Amino acid sequence: MPIKEFALPDVGEGVAEGELVTWLVEAGERVEEDQPIAEVETDKAMVEIPSAYDGVVSELRAEEGEMVPVGDVFVVFETDEDDGATPTADEAVAPDPDDGATDPAVPEGRVFAPPRVRRLARDRGVDLGGLAGSGPGGRITESDVEAAAVGSGAETDDAPRDGGDDGTAVADPSANGTGASVESGAVDRTDPAPSGDGMDRDRTLAMPATRALARQDGVAIDAVPASQERDGEAFVTPEDVRTYADSGGEVTPEGAALPTASAADPSAEPGASSSRDEGPTPATDEAATDEASGPRPGDRIPYTGIRRTIGDRMAESKFTAPHVSHHDEVDVTDLVETRNRLKEVAADSGVSLTYLPFAIKAVVAGLKAEPYMNSELDEDAEEIVLHDEYHIGIAVATEAGLMVPVVENADRKGLLEIAREVQDLASRARNRTISVEELQGSTFTITNLGAVGGEHASPIINYPEAGILALGEIKEKPAVHEGEVVPRHILTISASVDHRIVDGAIAARFTNELKQYLHDPDLLLLE
Amino acid sequence: MVMGDVATGTDVLVIGGGPGGYVAAIRAAQRDLDVTLVEKDAYGGTCLNHGCIPSKAFITAADVAHDAGNAEAMGIHADPAVDMAGMAAWKDDVVTQLTSGVEKLCKANGVHLIEGTAAFKDDHTARIAHAGDGQGMESVEFEDCIIATGSRPIQIPGFPFADEHVWASKDALAAEAVPDELVVVGAGYIGMELSTMFAKVGADVTVVEMLDAALPAYEDDVTRIVRSRAEDLGVDFRFGEGASEWGEAGDGIEVVTETDEGETSTYGADKVLVAVGREPVTDTLELDAIDLEPDADGVLATDDRARTDLDHVYAVGDVAGEPMLAHKASAEGIVAAETIAGEPAALDHQAIPAAVFTDPEIGTVGMTESEATEAGFDPVVGEMPMRASGRALTMNESDGFVRLVGDEETGFLLGAQVVAPEASELIAEIGLAIELGATVEDVVGTIHTHPTLSEATMEAAENAMEQAIHTLNR
Repeated sequence: MPIKEFALPDVGEGVAEGELVTWLVEAGERVEEDQPIAEVETDKAMVEIPSAYDGVVSELRAEEGEMVPVGDVFVVFETDEDDGATPTADEAVAPDPDDGATDPAVPEGRVFAPPRVRRLARDRGVDLGGLAGSGPGGRITESDVEAAAVGSGAETDDAPRDGGDDGTAVADPSANGTGASVESGAVDRTDPAPSGDGMDRDRTLAMPATRALARQDGVAIDAVPASQERDGEAFVTPEDVRTYADSGGEVTPEGAALPTASAADPSAEPGASSSRDEGPTPATDEAATDEASGPRPGDRIPYTGIRRTIGDRMAESKFTAPHVSHHDEVDVTDLVETRNRLKEVAADSGVSLTYLPFAIKAVVAGLKAEPYMNSELDEDAEEIVLHDEYHIGIAVATEAGLMVPVVENADRKGLLEIAREVQDLASRARNRTISVEELQGSTFTITNLGAVGGEHASPIINYPEAGILALGEIKEKPAVHEGEVVPRHILTISASVDHRIVDGAIAARFTNELKQYLHDPDLLLLE
Repeated sequence: MVMGDVATGTDVLVIGGGPGGYVAAIRAAQRDLDVTLVEKDAYGGTCLNHGCIPSKAFITAADVAHDAGNAEAMGIHADPAVDMAGMAAWKDDVVTQLTSGVEKLCKANGVHLIEGTAAFKDDHTARIAHAGDGQGMESVEFEDCIIATGSRPIQIPGFPFADEHVWASKDALAAEAVPDELVVVGAGYIGMELSTMFAKVGADVTVVEMLDAALPAYEDDVTRIVRSRAEDLGVDFRFGEGASEWGEAGDGIEVVTETDEGETSTYGADKVLVAVGREPVTDTLELDAIDLEPDADGVLATDDRARTDLDHVYAVGDVAGEPMLAHKASAEGIVAAETIAGEPAALDHQAIPAAVFTDPEIGTVGMTESEATEAGFDPVVGEMPMRASGRALTMNESDGFVRLVGDEETGFLLGAQVVAPEASELIAEIGLAIELGATVEDVVGTIHTHPTLSEATMEAAENAMEQAIHTLNR
């Protein structure tokens, strides 16, 4: 089988490298063309890298957590180009001496694996000589062996008590083949779960290590409620297996499907916890998920990936742009009515109309009135660049951290169109299928803490933008309306600006401008 | 069945109580098998009674005496008197402590001990002649058998060990007095260790070796250091000479040697120690009864489970062939016992370390540079001379070096050769690294205690990466 090196493809404009976050395949695993093999995280997005070949993964050249430059070989395949016949057992097992030239591994007869891994391999009937290790320098790890064992469906029978035949079978495991010739996502062969109220799928996608875990825990992978979907198929994670096993195999599908529900719920309800009756907010969903599988007190969580990117960006912003925050509140009783009225109209078009599109339109109006709010400082050129486009970033809380997808040209789009776009962007940001391009190019950002609750904040600017607006929770509060104290819907807003280019007065005028539109949404008709 | 026979049954019969046999017996018992161990002589085998342990006791004692008497440079002026009988008594105490420990461990693990000599009667029965005359016979029926009968020193024609002037290593280690003159036949590791030891306690030692080098199994730059130290101690090496005969002469003896060309030399001596190698012991076993036959070297051939041609008969240790090392015997014993217990054990070790307790010591594990090249690697080598080691200097022992061999492409450690004080200990770290599949860089990245000899291992790894701090990177 020809050896093909596979370099990290260009994953987005201007992206020079990506962090290899998760391998979706293991060395020795068979893959099909276009099957996702790795999750790579670039500046802000998680990208799945598909395989370019049909074949067997022979070597993983990068470790999880490693930064891989675009264009660097990070995985090697043995492709089956001369695809005519299925490989015989001999071909699958015995390293062909003639292949030596292309074999990147160590000379024959020498296996780099620690004693416990070698013992495990014997136990699983896996021939280490035929395995490409995923450890440093190709060192074979326990999971490599488990993967190969699952892949080959090797027997896990105990080694010989009465000598001869069993023993030689272990020494020469070719009987089962170790080519790991089972496609990822193939039907699991383990026995059904001992008990439980599980699923009963015919097919389940899962990583080999997950399958091994299921075997170890004595649960059938097809019975485990899946928390994810890949290409329309149920995808079971190790957490799913553990949850299912811990519950004695009685996890209800609903219970395990929480993250899916969260992903399906389009983030929604920005600025409006008052509409809780419409279903759980994303925040509640995530909290529930965390409880099931998330970090525990005392853990040390690696500061990497999106979390680190966010941190670096925040530090850069806060230490570069002197922030000044401006707080205000606005009576949005009319907006609440308007939105409630229009919501049903929007629903007819399949769009969930939240307050966010109104806020976006109001912000655009404010930006038009105060051009410095829609600008950035070009320090090299010593110029303040006033943007003539209105690309509004929407901060979205995801499991991985904050992401800011962008509604482009918000000034030229209608409410419904914006609402549809926000819904789509937020949903894809949460399930990490959003592209890098969709996270770039905003000129002003809105963050929405109201979905969780709270009034004022001191938001950090999405640098190098000039300002950011935080929306608080809409609450009914006593307010003076037409000379009387009455309950009104009040929205709290907080704007931070880069004081180098925007003075407090401009921030206040900007806030006043957008307040008008939030207070009296009819004005949006004039936009 | 012969009259007076007692028949017993057992899961596992272990024949021989040396480091292969007793370890196998204990491990099998730990796995809840019923185990019977037969030992004809002394628990602990050659290693504990007549080999590794007594020789190391003597070597250490000789070092103490020699070092104390040769420490003027350190400001110590002494002339120690060596009481060989007292030294032997201390050595015997050490041996007794260890061998009785082995016996207690076997019993505590539930191993049934029989003192005697075992011979096969049929595939699943052995007859045991109890030690001591007239103690009777016993038949033991077994499911599986582990042969761990060890080895004995090879005799050369004309030099029967039965003669009081001809020593096997065992006799040398039972010496009650230092011979004034000692001829050692064979410059292998036993010959080198004992030559050095006797030279240190005052013997005038001549080593006769048929080949043209001492310790021919080791690389030249390794043996050169050891041989030259031995020469400094007064050991006289005669290479290319074979011992042909000996005779009594006055109070002592004369040993006659012969070269390939037929030239003879004669050396006066009090004793002649013959250390030309060891051969497996199989003749007492009556292997015919189970249709098992040793190979041309007298070795019982085994597979990677320590199993002979018979599925239920295992052979471990010296009887299963080279390298004849106690730790290799123990490893095989464990694999045999675990295999019998149904576990997935195998002899798949990457490297078996070896040590020679010369001065300085030699420790090796894995491949040499040329072995690595032969195996198809592209080796990279790093070295650290002990004269650059602070600890070696403070021990006043700066001869030798640590050399690591790695694979250029992957960085995996492949082997090491260490000539240094405590080389036998230094090699353990490297053995672990090799077994775990560590790379040269892994060793570099491991902080080593200062000031210790083990730092030399880290420095050698640095040198392999051409970035040593304390030596020039050539």
